[in-house]
Amino acid sequence: MDFPIFHIDFIGNRMLIAVDAILHVIINHALAVGALPIIALLEYIGIRNKDKRWDALAFRLLKIIFIVTTTVGALTGVGIWFSASLINPAAIGSLIRVFFWGWFVEWLVFVSEVSLIMAYFLTWESTRDKPEAKLKHWRLGLFLAAFSWITMAIIVAILGFMMDTGNWQTERTLLAGLFNPMYFPQLGFRTTLAMVMGGMSMICLTYLYTRRELAFRSAVLEVLSKWTGAWLLALAIAAIWYYQVIPGHMLANIPVAVTTQEYVSWNSQLKWLLIFGLAFVGWVAWASFKRPGQVHGAKYALSLVVLVLMLGQFERVREFIRKPFIIGNYMYANGLRVDDYPLLKRDGILQHATYAGIREITADNQVSAGREVFEQTCSRCHTVNGINSIRGQLKNMYGDKRWQADIIAAYVENMHGARYFMPPFPGNKTELQALSVYLASLQKRAAAFNGAQINGIPAPDFISAATHYGNIPDLDTHQGEQH
Amino acid sequence: MAAPIPRDIPLPLPAPEGFLEILLVVAFLVHIVFVHLMIGGSLFSLVCQIRGLKVPDYEKLAYRIMQLVTVNKSMAVVMGVAPLLIINTLYAPQFYASSALIGDMWMAVIPLVTLAFLLAYVHKFWWRHFINIPELHIGIAALETALFLFIPLIFMTNVNLMLFPEAWPQVKGFVSALLLPNVIQRYLHFLSATVLSSSLLLVWWTGRKSFAQEVQFSKVRLLDVRRFFYAFAFGATLLQMLTGLLVFVSLPAQGMGWGFTLLLMLGGASALPAVYWMWQNLTRTDHLLDDNFKRIIASFACALVLMGIARHDYRENALADHQSAIKEKTANYQAAVKVAAEEAQLAAKALEEQPRGAGEIAFEQNCAACHHATLPTVGPSMQEIKELYAGDPSGLIAWTKAPGKKRPDSMAMPSFAHLSDAQLTAISGYILSH
Repeated sequence: MDFPIFHIDFIGNRMLIAVDAILHVIINHALAVGALPIIALLEYIGIRNKDKRWDALAFRLLKIIFIVTTTVGALTGVGIWFSASLINPAAIGSLIRVFFWGWFVEWLVFVSEVSLIMAYFLTWESTRDKPEAKLKHWRLGLFLAAFSWITMAIIVAILGFMMDTGNWQTERTLLAGLFNPMYFPQLGFRTTLAMVMGGMSMICLTYLYTRRELAFRSAVLEVLSKWTGAWLLALAIAAIWYYQVIPGHMLANIPVAVTTQEYVSWNSQLKWLLIFGLAFVGWVAWASFKRPGQVHGAKYALSLVVLVLMLGQFERVREFIRKPFIIGNYMYANGLRVDDYPLLKRDGILQHATYAGIREITADNQVSAGREVFEQTCSRCHTVNGINSIRGQLKNMYGDKRWQADIIAAYVENMHGARYFMPPFPGNKTELQALSVYLASLQKRAAAFNGAQINGIPAPDFISAATHYGNIPDLDTHQGEQH
Repeated sequence: MAAPIPRDIPLPLPAPEGFLEILLVVAFLVHIVFVHLMIGGSLFSLVCQIRGLKVPDYEKLAYRIMQLVTVNKSMAVVMGVAPLLIINTLYAPQFYASSALIGDMWMAVIPLVTLAFLLAYVHKFWWRHFINIPELHIGIAALETALFLFIPLIFMTNVNLMLFPEAWPQVKGFVSALLLPNVIQRYLHFLSATVLSSSLLLVWWTGRKSFAQEVQFSKVRLLDVRRFFYAFAFGATLLQMLTGLLVFVSLPAQGMGWGFTLLLMLGGASALPAVYWMWQNLTRTDHLLDDNFKRIIASFACALVLMGIARHDYRENALADHQSAIKEKTANYQAAVKVAAEEAQLAAKALEEQPRGAGEIAFEQNCAACHHATLPTVGPSMQEIKELYAGDPSGLIAWTKAPGKKRPDSMAMPSFAHLSDAQLTAISGYILSH
């Protein structure tokens, strides 16, 4: 409401963040948090056994980790900021106000992490043949692994906060937000999953890199399988713990139990993926531990794919059960605060949306006013023609029957009761009607829906018009006229 | 011209404003130094590699320079996070607005930087693989450098656009924002700073004792290489002053002020001793390249800090009115929110006090979302249900407990078996008597 609305109508705004964030999480879990301790472990075995092959392998693996994490990994992390600030600035802006110091500390840890990985990788070859320096170098690796875990531990606090603000609503302090009820279960789940993913991704790479040294391959795979298997047991426990914390907690917020059917279908998908996935990965790890070197590489690769799917699905469910909020009980997914609703319902959202081009709805401008209402209230999650398109939704509901504005209005007014993941409609009756007329018009014709990055914003005389709560001080001419 | 006045995020700043501003200036300067070194490194590596086609020693030098780029580029990214965080905090209404207005290009920063970094790694880590195809290798280096040079233009366009809210309504996408007065001038000023700082770094770096050992030139004299960089540094310094003047005269008046002008003068003046010392080192035979090196760096550092403060001062000046208007509007809005909330509470209370049957309340909580009084919405209307089940409340209850899918064009109703029989009876009574 206070920011020009960026919108991508084809892949959708949510998908933009999702693609970037899931890529980031996969790289972070599988190649940073989970893999870096393994590199230190392999280096240590090399030192202890005075076996150069372990050292050489660890360095080759680290090179891949270094290349991927310092490019795609780091940039997709920054990308979450970029995309979030374009798509839902109100939400990310609020989170930043609350978590500034958390993010600041996160940044310090991030600086240390990047400095450590550069030091660790770039001094590997120069310390290789000097025993004392080598030991120091190995310690760098331990620090690096620790710092990479700490960056995740801080971010998990913010993710947990978005789902459940805990005592923050009343206390509004950083610590109250940080140690919300979801924190430790989620951290436990992510840590163990990362360790398993790290183990499996290093197993896959090792398999590729040791094609000509089969005896050595068995020795390494045995160690890595032990690592993966042990963490897998911990993951099973952490998953049960986490699973027991979320659903109960989130379901309690949902007034009508029947409306959880969508959630249940997501949840059961996750449950089966978890059970099947863990069983399969566990079986591969066990076989690989018993007879290292005799398990085919495809099975390892498949395990890794299963783990990645599990993580992706987990993130989807985590995002899904947060709805209708983007910050639990504080802000809806449309970027409007719960507190804003009474005012917006009374005056209408177009009265207060800084960058709306139409303030008054008349019989003549219903479709274009409806488009403005759609832009303000629906476009954060829905496209017109692309992914999760509103046309598709309407088609599911009404098919080829004529889409009727009053029927759509009757639905939109009450939909949050049945579709609990939808925020209530924030505008007034006239706007609801205009929105419905616009939506009904989409059956025949949907003009391209562009965001502010293409359309720009409307002329300022519209924007600075007097609103319900008094004149807005204008930058030049109206300066003297305030009352 | 009038500017759009949005509201600010209604949550307190996490720290005193002045403190955040100091943090912003410091963090930004650290970031920008690494950015200069990254871009300049890539540029000089490319230049040396092209010279290396004729003089092979320069190819060795190009490889060495790329090793610096790897470190500087990682630092440039991580050091950029802090200023981004602080600018998001301090200037949310302006920064998010300008980012959205150039949204496509702003989002493109991420894939472009990623691509540039990956190219830099291919360029460096696979150096030996390209030994017989130098054209391809140089092509990769050129693409990497071009990307590195283009990306700052996006940032510059955004931080310039955020300063001038009255220009926002005219902006339609990245190109129109790029063409606002001052962006190109700032970019040229930025480029000369890139050449200046990276060539100075290379003068120092090639002067280290171990460097001759590392690079092992066969023909070229190290001193000539260093003079080559030094000449660039000197030329770039002069260019820096010229482009600086260009920026100054083209700056929109909103942010001008005597304090700002004084800071700029001081900044420019503090770089003058460095120009003098560098000129001496380049021209006088009794001077060495490394003479007064620390002083030169100190003089530039001084100029950098003063310019950084001036840059922030201009932003504060340019946005002062906008910020105070936003503050007022935010306060007005919050007051209105409060009034509306109280009204709504009273209205809700009044509604509660109206006598309503248990059936009506339960219907509204559980059914109204899909069943409208007269219109078919998700499910059939109450009217239609009433006609279907007239005189058959138990049939209606049975259906509610175990519904199926009757109509091919609408979705199946979920079961309401979790409601008590009393509730279901009340609901069916309400529907059938409505």
